[in-house]
Amino acid sequence: MRSILPPRVTEHTFQRALNGFAGVVGKEWVLATEEDRETFMDYYAAGDADLHVPSAAVGPQSVEEVQAIVRIANEYRVPLWPVSRGKNLGYGAAAPCMTGTVVLDLGRMNRILDVNERFGYCLIEPGVGFFDLFNHLQTNKIKLWMSIPANAWGSVVGNALERGYGYTPYGENTRNICGLEVVLPNGEVLRTGNGAMSNSSSWQLFKYGYGPSWDQLFCQSNFGIVTKMGMWLMPEPEATLGLNIQLPHPDDVGWAVDELAPLRLKGVIEQSPSIGNSLRFVASATQRSQWYQGNGALPDDVLAEILKKNNLGWWTINLRLYGYDEVNEAHARIIKDAFAKHMKQEIQAVKWHRGEPIDNSGAGIPATTALQIINWRGGRGGHIGFSPILPATSEHVLKQFHNTKKRYEEIGVDYYGSFTLFERYTTNVNMMVYDRDDTAMTSKVRALFKVLIADAAKEGYSEYRTHISYMDDVALTFDFNHHALLRLNETLKDALDPNGILAPGKQGIWPRALRTERA
Amino acid sequence: MNGKTLRSTYPAPLGWIGNLLRALALVALNLLIAVAIGRTADDSAQKIEGGKRLFRERCGYCHLAGGTGTIMLARRLGKDRSLLEERRDLNAEYVKKITRVGINGMPPHNRIEVPDRELDLIAIYLTRPVSARAADTTRSKGSAP
Repeated sequence: MRSILPPRVTEHTFQRALNGFAGVVGKEWVLATEEDRETFMDYYAAGDADLHVPSAAVGPQSVEEVQAIVRIANEYRVPLWPVSRGKNLGYGAAAPCMTGTVVLDLGRMNRILDVNERFGYCLIEPGVGFFDLFNHLQTNKIKLWMSIPANAWGSVVGNALERGYGYTPYGENTRNICGLEVVLPNGEVLRTGNGAMSNSSSWQLFKYGYGPSWDQLFCQSNFGIVTKMGMWLMPEPEATLGLNIQLPHPDDVGWAVDELAPLRLKGVIEQSPSIGNSLRFVASATQRSQWYQGNGALPDDVLAEILKKNNLGWWTINLRLYGYDEVNEAHARIIKDAFAKHMKQEIQAVKWHRGEPIDNSGAGIPATTALQIINWRGGRGGHIGFSPILPATSEHVLKQFHNTKKRYEEIGVDYYGSFTLFERYTTNVNMMVYDRDDTAMTSKVRALFKVLIADAAKEGYSEYRTHISYMDDVALTFDFNHHALLRLNETLKDALDPNGILAPGKQGIWPRALRTERA
Repeated sequence: MNGKTLRSTYPAPLGWIGNLLRALALVALNLLIAVAIGRTADDSAQKIEGGKRLFRERCGYCHLAGGTGTIMLARRLGKDRSLLEERRDLNAEYVKKITRVGINGMPPHNRIEVPDRELDLIAIYLTRPVSARAADTTRSKGSAP
């Protein structure tokens, strides 16, 4: 059996660490065979899964077990890569940044500890998936709604910590974090915010605590292992009103952003509407070869024909209003008037009222069907996401859209992008869908990714999240004052984690002993 | 095995008492066998039921009606072979291997999210005999949660 070891660690020491882990969690939950390792690798990787091979995985079931594992990891200098459920698909899944790191899989810690309907919050462990929490709320008839990302297989905690988002007014999941329990790299456990008071009556009510506020320091970071998370949930609204808007032409995304952004800022629209190219619906339901057999990116005229046949505009906007019927009606009128200045088509509204089945209500309902798009190319599909943040204006959006589309066409990949509008910025997720076995294509995709990072950086666009292969590249674009922020992060890293055992390389933050591993 | 065979093999050495004892022994033996068979049937029914629950919990995200796995399988193998719960051509070893290594769009599942003993039950459920299917009135009525 091929041995994979962390840097600085001998086979003998590694085995002692694994034995130590087994003493804590039981042999059954220490996985170190070659087949086991492969189950934690980045399945959808664009040809570079071998750069991120875990040495083993360990699955604790309690915070005490996490603490014991962390102490052993310190003793033997064995690095750990915590994952909640390991479904960060498109960004590396469960795989660690640095080969040889042991995956600390928290999936067995899957208790829903508290749900409070009156105040609209839950307290959950990292192994709780979107489906689990949804089923719990449904079964117990709790009138709280979730915000769910496109692929809902993953962890609620993991998604919020990675700053993932959904599409209800509570869509920005990281914003809803209220109170964490964290195991620090030295094995000590702490609670943030008001949880720092042992008998606090408001841990999940008040975010900030007393003095510096730490919740965001444990997001996209390697400063601690989150073992419990408080999260605000949205009270079920009285009614919703959905608008499905088709924008006929590629450049319509510009005026649409200019019309919608002020309404989003003013609170006329409280959720984050997503403007996505309509090819996504065709790519989910059919395969490319049904429409086009040629090489290279789908030509514009072929795409136009496909969209026409499917009765779709170039872009589709899913927009939803939540609250009282009369208010929704009034807001819908304002939105329709804004669009009427630019297009003649009637915008259809879909209404939902409390008590009706929630299927078309705009409530967060978990599904995994978004994954269908990876079949677009045929073969064994994969995808990776490039996701910069831009100011929500037509000038920025059009520039970024045209540049990205041109870059995709240069390497023969079909453009697949969306702009999700928050109050002040838009998150531009660009998916690259490829055949994992087409090595010529995957190497072009990897090169494209670096080009897109550089292009975006030139315009002052930063990524909101990235794949494990590009964590250093993106970190280096934050270059103000000779990377002062990265230097602060690494100062903090060395203070909290002197042995460098927690998620080396995460978000470009390397512990002192492993800085030579930086890409 | 039946009483006739036993009687002809072992003629009665002890007259009517012997016959009575032998008869009692036969009743006891038959009871034991019946209990053993019954237990096996209970065991396997229990395993199938456990496997069904686990399948819906662990695989139902994608493999019930309307799920992404069902859609992908329909595309690849046709609609009549797209619902795993209805398939009769699955083999337990194949189910277990594919779960661990993944196939096409389906990522592999590790032994923390689906431990071996759970996967064994899931495989038993997906390869259950026709007789167990007749009793299973709820099959294929599920939809992706």
